[in-house]
Amino acid sequence: MNRRWRREQGEEANTKENNTDRSFKFVKGMDPKLTEVSQLFERFKAALVRNDFDTCSKLLSQLKILLIEFKSLPPLFGETPNAVQELTIARDIYEHAVVLSVKMEDQDAFERDFFQLKPYYTDVGGRLPQSPQEYPILGLNLLRLLVQNRIAEFHTELELLSGNALENPCIKHAVELEQSFMEGAYNRVLSARQTVPHETYVYFMDLLARTVRDEIAGCSEKAYDSLTVKDARQMLLISSDQELFDYIKEEHPEWEVKNGLVVFQKAKESAPCKEIPSLQLINQTLSYARELERIV
Amino acid sequence: MIVCYLGVALIPLLIDPRACDCNIFIQEKMTQDIEMKEQQVPAAPSNSVSSTTPVLQHLKEIAALIETGAYAREVRRILRAVRLTIALRRKLKASVVSSFLNVALAPGSEAHTRLSSYLPKDDENDMEVDTASSASQTTVKHSPELEIYCYLLVLIFLIDQKKYSEAKACSSASIARLKNLNRRTVDVLASRLYFYYSLSYELTGDLSEIRGNLLSLHRVATLRHDELGQETLLNLLLRNYLHYNLYDQAEKLRSKAPRFEAHSNQQFCRYLFYLGKIRTIQLEYTDAKESLLQAARKAPVAALGFRVQCNKWAVIVRLLLGEIPERTVFMQKGMEKALRPYFELTNAVRIGDLELFKSVAEKFSSTFSSDRTNNLIVRLRHNVIRTGLRNISISYSRISLADVAKKLRLDSPNPIADAESIVSKAIRDGAIDATLDHANGWMVSKETGDIYSTNEPQLAFNSRIAFCLNMHNEAVRALRFPPNSHKEKESAEKRRERQQQEQELAKHIAEEDDDDF
Repeated sequence: MNRRWRREQGEEANTKENNTDRSFKFVKGMDPKLTEVSQLFERFKAALVRNDFDTCSKLLSQLKILLIEFKSLPPLFGETPNAVQELTIARDIYEHAVVLSVKMEDQDAFERDFFQLKPYYTDVGGRLPQSPQEYPILGLNLLRLLVQNRIAEFHTELELLSGNALENPCIKHAVELEQSFMEGAYNRVLSARQTVPHETYVYFMDLLARTVRDEIAGCSEKAYDSLTVKDARQMLLISSDQELFDYIKEEHPEWEVKNGLVVFQKAKESAPCKEIPSLQLINQTLSYARELERIV
Repeated sequence: MIVCYLGVALIPLLIDPRACDCNIFIQEKMTQDIEMKEQQVPAAPSNSVSSTTPVLQHLKEIAALIETGAYAREVRRILRAVRLTIALRRKLKASVVSSFLNVALAPGSEAHTRLSSYLPKDDENDMEVDTASSASQTTVKHSPELEIYCYLLVLIFLIDQKKYSEAKACSSASIARLKNLNRRTVDVLASRLYFYYSLSYELTGDLSEIRGNLLSLHRVATLRHDELGQETLLNLLLRNYLHYNLYDQAEKLRSKAPRFEAHSNQQFCRYLFYLGKIRTIQLEYTDAKESLLQAARKAPVAALGFRVQCNKWAVIVRLLLGEIPERTVFMQKGMEKALRPYFELTNAVRIGDLELFKSVAEKFSSTFSSDRTNNLIVRLRHNVIRTGLRNISISYSRISLADVAKKLRLDSPNPIADAESIVSKAIRDGAIDATLDHANGWMVSKETGDIYSTNEPQLAFNSRIAFCLNMHNEAVRALRFPPNSHKEKESAEKRRERQQQEQELAKHIAEEDDDDF
């Protein structure tokens, strides 16, 4: 109690410049937990560079357990003396966790880690200097939602971004992808793979390419009567005829290949109505009568 | 035969969908008038103390109304008191409010000192009034309702005077006081206080501070079955979330909060508007359109700003749905100017001209960003292309893809390939009826068949009838009756009177019916 009082007094007496200096010393001297976390985090980062995923995930779960003990982190947001350091290192850890999950190609882990990271951007954003990783990670998340076809969530996330953020190349990339995707300009989506703003985007772009192929196949089926094998291959971005035949067999067994043409089976056209759907009409008329009874 | 009759009978409803809502408003207004007449009765004896200003006199009458309401546990009277206060709002002055405080609260009590500290002290001439009235009132024991009412009055006054920091302090104090009160008669006043509490924080831009408080108040209101409070607080919370674009949280709260029949039309309108906004962002356009149009229709005529907002969002949602709103939407009285950017936008979408669309979006970008509809307008680009494509498909039976790209003004490095995939997606989504010929690079439109040979007209007719019937049912359900009216005891004389009235009314209606046929 007494010591704390003295510390506060001391802090007040200090000028602003050496205040940060002091608190840093204070961290090193007084808080073994924070040093432990930062040491462990260094090992984690080293393992991440080596792409040693087993060690990474082991260290990450240890780190997450250690983070629980800090009172200043969400959801408690306690006003502890070294809250800023704790928050910064926690944000850093979760950012790396997100990157790790992308490298491990684990979408569920990505979602979990991202949601743990998000409060650091939204709720304590004002207290910390902006992280250079913020926009790339937000853009990555948008891309993930696009790949998983969760368009409603995509737009909900988009609304949270400021005008500045929308100008950022990482975010813009994802936004333009969504637009091209909705319009149907699929080759623009595919060519965007060459211009990824960040290396971590490649994984999701590959996934997106697969989605796009399915979309193109679905559209072609409706739009064309038939296509030559060569055109179909080009359109579906498949390199050899054999692969195309395998793809057709697996995904669209109803397509026919004959005389070098891929023939699509058209869905039955809506033929002019010859029969009167009497049962349905009777039902409707009865319901009108019932409602009318209620009115009159 | 039946169907024909129905079509005729419900046409008026279709033409003016507001008709049924209007009735409700008229009804509401009528009850208000009746109440006002009633209100004169208790006021009459106290008229002798007319030494003070008429406004103060009015306030005293309202206070008496609250006292009787609190004593008889009649929420209705307190509701009326709040309504009368709003009518007096413009005429409030610092001197009047402070002298009313002296009457309503025991001088020296905690609430009195706190509330008077918020008021500016400048007038001198009211000092004598103070002493005179307070001397006569010291013995009266005041109800907590009156105390809360004083908080409300001071708060409204402070907000009108643009003293926002005082208003914030006052509202926070009132909320703290409210937490210790658990009386049903306070609920009406409390719900108004919550509203002004949030408003005062919004005006100073600190809305996020009170989110936790509002949530806990909502919890308490739910536990106490205070439905009006729940309704108000839910709306305030939604507003709070949407203010920071937190659509996800807003939707989660909305879907989990308890729902019940709306108690207040205003709150219901707001709820519908917020709901419409959330649904728009989450791409549920059909539902969004329904909520937004209903909100615009139900809103009182005086709430022009609110209706303009509803209309703006509704226009965008309809455009996103591929509908083109009628010109009359933009020509509504008092809205022409506000809706002008949206009118030009609609025009661009209608023509399907990407260049025009871009220039309109740029020209009004500041309006759109202040309305926070920018992201939605970006979404519209896709619709512009679709409309353009539909126009092309109708006009040409066969057209090369290069021409399609040129007509759509697609500016991309590879316009033909883009046009081809865009057209094929439009075909799959059913926007146009055509086929593509890859080898020749053509788009061939199909002959449009005779629509009357299909079931289509019957389906359209059915959906319209269903709409009319639904409208009627909604209108019946929306008719409002005073709560607990069946419990009130009526004297024999009153009953006779009422029955006579009902008979007359029935006769009247019967006559009208005769006239109709």
